[in-house]
Amino acid sequence: MAHETGTALRGSVVGDGLQLTAIELCRACGTSEQQVEIWVVEGVLQPEGGATREEWRFGAAALARLRVATRLAHDLEVNDSGVAIALDLLDRIAALESHLLRLGALRDEKVSR
Amino acid sequence: MKYKDYYETLGVPKTATQDEIKTAFRKLARKYHPDVSKVADAEARFKEVNEANEVLKDAEKRAAYDQLGRGFKAGQDFQPPPNWDEGFEFRGRPQAGGNPFGGGSSNFDDSDFFESLFGGRRGGTRQRGPTAGGDHHAKVLIDLEDSYRGAERSISLRMPVEGGDGRGGLQERTLDVHIPKGIRAGQNLRLAGQGAAGAGGGKAGDLFLEIEFKPHPRFRVDGADVYFDLAVAPWEAALGATVDAPTPEGTVQLSVPKGSTAGRKLRLKGRGLPGKTPGDLYAVIVVSLPKAETDGERQAYEAMAKSFAGFAPRAHLQG
Repeated sequence: MAHETGTALRGSVVGDGLQLTAIELCRACGTSEQQVEIWVVEGVLQPEGGATREEWRFGAAALARLRVATRLAHDLEVNDSGVAIALDLLDRIAALESHLLRLGALRDEKVSR
Repeated sequence: MKYKDYYETLGVPKTATQDEIKTAFRKLARKYHPDVSKVADAEARFKEVNEANEVLKDAEKRAAYDQLGRGFKAGQDFQPPPNWDEGFEFRGRPQAGGNPFGGGSSNFDDSDFFESLFGGRRGGTRQRGPTAGGDHHAKVLIDLEDSYRGAERSISLRMPVEGGDGRGGLQERTLDVHIPKGIRAGQNLRLAGQGAAGAGGGKAGDLFLEIEFKPHPRFRVDGADVYFDLAVAPWEAALGATVDAPTPEGTVQLSVPKGSTAGRKLRLKGRGLPGKTPGDLYAVIVVSLPKAETDGERQAYEAMAKSFAGFAPRAHLQG
């Protein structure tokens, strides 16, 4: 359905100029700040900005990663280092899939990641 | 409403121990978790498995379910008798603190069957003073062309809402949303104040829309780069040609360099998804071989074979 009414809601794209603070990131993913700090230490999330929690800023990749991390931890009871490994492996799968996609080998398959 | 056999869902016998149930659940949950699994209906399967576990892992719920379901088979019509749960005290109904995933990450959407037996999983503890509403999250499928041009789309969402009795429910709502030009798959659009309503004068939460592209019959997207197959005739590949190529922004004339081989990528710089750093558009050469059906066509191939007497396509297989 296309609309050209001009009344549609306008949002901001996370990562494109809009960076989230630790508090905003936690709210968006339903995660506690302590948990985010643990995952920063584990290397699951890499904040930009300054060194303190107040100065941390997060972009699009962090939002996507934290969502997956939170779901894995909650749904599968994966521990912190398990989440870190799972995310690294998922990244590798995504990289391989995009390589296959560039080669055209995944033409007929839906690539969801 | 159909009866659900939770034991069947987890693949365990009715006599299974709590440990066996836990093991079966863990295994299936990993197998069907939507973030990990590539199975087509992973999300639906995961929900089923989770719901079954929710009941069977809890000794009291399991006992009530066992008593109620005696003699029923999966898929059979089912109505719980009134006051069926008398004498059972279910812990955590409604669950304090509500869905731990304010962001709606698990998107728990209990089945009618579960709902009628054990009530809503979502609920809330009442808090005093202004409380900010939680953020919501939803995935949205858009067309690739929407990102090329920017668009306005009407989006239907099912949002968790808290009922007056502390139980949760789902409410449909439709939003007209501006899709910004150049948005990429996996990116999130934040709509301020469109999440859950705040309580006691608290601020409403935000709505995060995660963008995905609908599969396109012609174009494949990788980040900001877009790929498509460009079929050419053998003589076009060998001798070079100028051909019409369909791009998301309309047809362009593309020059196929002579001596092109299958798999060669022709880059159209900056013709991928728009943005501060626009992506590139790649035409991947696919050589299409014409069939030799008429005499003339067969002769053309024979003449080619004569002209290319020294051509050894399998030379690399020898030795």
